[in-house]
Amino acid sequence: MRPEHWIYAIPLRLRSLFRRREADQELDEELRCHVELKTSANIAKGMTPQEARRAALLEMGGIEKRKEECRDARHVNWLQDLLQDVRYAFRAFVRNPAFFFFAVAVLALGIGANTAIFTVAYNVLLRPLPYRNADRLVMVWEDDSAFGFPANTPSPGNFASWKSQNSVFSDVAAMDTQRFDLSGQGDPEQLLATEITANMFPLLGVKPVLGRNISPEEDTPAGDHVVILSHAVWLANFGGDPHIVGKQIWLNNFAKYTIIGVMPRGFIFPDRETQIWTPMRFSDKDLVNFGSHYLHVVARLKPGVSLSSANADLSIIAKRLQQEHPQDNAKEGAFAIPLRDRLAGSSRLAAMILLGAVGFVLLIACANVANLLLARAAGRQKELAMRMALGAGRARIVRQLLTESILLSVIAGTAGLLLALSATPFLANLIPAGLAPLAGSGINAYVLTFLVAVSIFCGVLFGLAPALRISRLDLVNAIKQSGAGSGVGAAGMRMRDLLVVAEVALALVLFSGATLMIRSFINVRNLDPGFRPAHVLAVETELPFPKYQEVSRRNAFFQQTLERINHLPGVVASGCTTWLPLTNRGGAFGIVIEGQPPLGAGHLPIPNVRMISSNYIQAIGMRLVEGRAFDDRDAAKSPLVALINQTAAKKFWGGQDPIGTRFRHFGKDKNPSITVVGVVADVRQAGLDQPPRPEIYVPYDQWDFFAPGYIAVRTTGDPMSVANAVREQVWAVDKDQPVTHVMPLEQMLADYLAPRELQSSLLGGFAGFALLLAALGIYAVLAFSVTQRTQEIGVRVTLGAQQSDILRQILTQGLKLAGLGVVIGVAGALALSQLLATLLFGVSATDPLMLAGAVAVLLVVAMVACYIPARRAMRVDPMVALRYE
Amino acid sequence: MSKPSDLVQGTLDMLLLKILALEPLNGFAVSERLKQISGDVLQVSDGSLYPALHKLEQEGWISAEWKTTENNRRAKFYSLTRLGRRQLEKESENWSRLSTAISRVVKLKEA
Repeated sequence: MRPEHWIYAIPLRLRSLFRRREADQELDEELRCHVELKTSANIAKGMTPQEARRAALLEMGGIEKRKEECRDARHVNWLQDLLQDVRYAFRAFVRNPAFFFFAVAVLALGIGANTAIFTVAYNVLLRPLPYRNADRLVMVWEDDSAFGFPANTPSPGNFASWKSQNSVFSDVAAMDTQRFDLSGQGDPEQLLATEITANMFPLLGVKPVLGRNISPEEDTPAGDHVVILSHAVWLANFGGDPHIVGKQIWLNNFAKYTIIGVMPRGFIFPDRETQIWTPMRFSDKDLVNFGSHYLHVVARLKPGVSLSSANADLSIIAKRLQQEHPQDNAKEGAFAIPLRDRLAGSSRLAAMILLGAVGFVLLIACANVANLLLARAAGRQKELAMRMALGAGRARIVRQLLTESILLSVIAGTAGLLLALSATPFLANLIPAGLAPLAGSGINAYVLTFLVAVSIFCGVLFGLAPALRISRLDLVNAIKQSGAGSGVGAAGMRMRDLLVVAEVALALVLFSGATLMIRSFINVRNLDPGFRPAHVLAVETELPFPKYQEVSRRNAFFQQTLERINHLPGVVASGCTTWLPLTNRGGAFGIVIEGQPPLGAGHLPIPNVRMISSNYIQAIGMRLVEGRAFDDRDAAKSPLVALINQTAAKKFWGGQDPIGTRFRHFGKDKNPSITVVGVVADVRQAGLDQPPRPEIYVPYDQWDFFAPGYIAVRTTGDPMSVANAVREQVWAVDKDQPVTHVMPLEQMLADYLAPRELQSSLLGGFAGFALLLAALGIYAVLAFSVTQRTQEIGVRVTLGAQQSDILRQILTQGLKLAGLGVVIGVAGALALSQLLATLLFGVSATDPLMLAGAVAVLLVVAMVACYIPARRAMRVDPMVALRYE
Repeated sequence: MSKPSDLVQGTLDMLLLKILALEPLNGFAVSERLKQISGDVLQVSDGSLYPALHKLEQEGWISAEWKTTENNRRAKFYSLTRLGRRQLEKESENWSRLSTAISRVVKLKEA
């Protein structure tokens, strides 16, 4: 359109839009004026005034319809109509506040829950990792399942071999964690470092934002000591100094490290805990060490190479290594898994299950609201028929109903967003550390898009049902009919019944899944961990090397510290250990048991090893089953002794009594013999839901590798009450010794259980909500049905039906619906049970008892829901009912 | 008698514009004038008339003004705008081209 056209047309269109009432009146006047003029002309032709007027009106047709057509001609209709629809919808809601609030509440909970869970799922499953082409990154592990380590941290020898012999990776890098004490920069503090090979950052595709990456020369034992800072540490500890590159800091009071770079803001690798990166500095000797397993290996797949080809290649290399290094690499395999999967772990499946569960809840909520809308629509038939008579097209009516339902949905969506915002902090436990969003609640553009899409989708979903029904009205019948007896029709009732059956089925699936998860959680929580965590304080205090390289220094430290702690008021016993339960799955080496036939490499017993002080057993409350615990006889220079756990006794000593037998650390024949003096009950080192591994415990001062790093203090009351005192005692022995992670042992266990607990609570909550909605659905359908059939019931009563007969009729109707839903639900639950299987503990996914229980609960709920409408039906007064039209 | 509904919308627009080109009129008068000029051949039904007029107004080809008629009645009078005059010329051209072509075909001698 040309500009002049616009100048004229726009004011007109705007006028149509904004001064609608005026424009409307004018239109009205114009048409009536025409009728007047026509009438006069007709009179002039000779008709009587009445005839004349009638003819004129007839020729004009319906004035309202004409007005509608004129308005259509103005092409601003759609916007006007939309506004009108919205206004109309609001009026409808205000007239029916109970329905409105209920629908909004139900939907808001559904949409909000979905958004919150989606945020979690997004972070776990979808959010791109901050590395280049992150989906091509994998982690490579040793497969030592023969020894109880299905995914073991690789040895440097393996790493080097994989790197040089593979044909599927463009690069392979390694890392290890390390702790450094930072001093000379304010208070001494401990920085968690990750040692990386020089090619790690280029492999990930990231560059420091200041300075540069580690050079290959620096990644050698003779290279300079360098360090790269994380952005957070650069800001917090060094004030964001722009000239930081080249400055030096003391780490571990050992050497001056030069800062060579700062990583970009928000870059984390491998998780948020790491604050600085230093070079790995493998020596040539390291690179042929196939016996120590402690690395994490990251690799990038070559373009076009699939994961399965990479795994095939690794298997070939592993087999070759098995033959080249029969002692160290016996039965060792190798495999790669995508980096994201590794970071996500079991939370991946949990996130998907929760997403599915909350999706079910939303479907049930929508079904409920659809049901309500259908019921409401039945009551609005007359009103809608009237509108159609007044000229509204069928499409217009459908549009109006959809506008209503989408508006409802959008309002609910907004409320749901607020809900989600407040809920997401509580869901943080479901996101593993490596994938957690860096700031805020993690609600970002994707999540909001999801929210809007879901809201609109829901609106259309449950709005469509009544909208489609209404369009097929029989106009005349609808206006003639004067009561609730008007036909939503058999089809309408069928749709509502279908919705209820679907609701019940979904609710059953959800409920049975939730009970299984909750049962699992209870099972895990009730497991005997093998020790008594109540009243015990756990303290992490790793001795830094090279300060404590000397064994005697280490022993002296612990001796003095423990002595001091024992004298504190309220302390019952204290002990130290290399690793507390739940802090390390491994820490193991091979042993050779004297008197047993020699087993070749690859069949060696490899128990976990824990080096402890003599009172450690008491301190954490382990149980001595046989023999004796450590005491003063077992000093540093005394004959070597050990305790073994029941699993080790059963597995490696067979039926024999292990007390008094001897074994050696595998490796060199001149390793001294160790005598078994006692057997302790199993401790679940790897995790409460992991089977216990065979373990041996030895006095820490008899050994010179694997230094203790944890202290356990048993108190008479609240363990935190001695926390400060314990710290002081440590510093009294060594004022620079960092003490990290002081917490009650019970809290450590609780933290371990936390994700599982959260999952169970959430599923339980969703299931409960779903049950409630299903019950309401059944109630609504039955109540409506009773109202519809009041006449019929009246007739039956008149013909002699007893109250109990009526009651039975209604109950049967309700239970039929529920029963059908239950049958479908059971099928669904069984179909989905495999999905749940890996997350369960101590209960099978197809446990018939649990399933039967869920069915029973649902049927009881259904019966309760039937009760009120059934009672109402019972009390129908035939006289009133028969008169009721 | 050709029924108004047989008139293609475009043709109706052109006719209305032409009538209003002669002098400003209200809706009723336009339909009467059209009937009169065409000798009762062309009649616009009341149902089609006003939507068409409103569309023409929306496009900016005619403008409207409320005036009092002789009988002291208020009526909406439409008149052609400059834009409308141009549109009328264009449509008239198209129409003569079309009608000439049709005549040529129709007048062909049958074999």
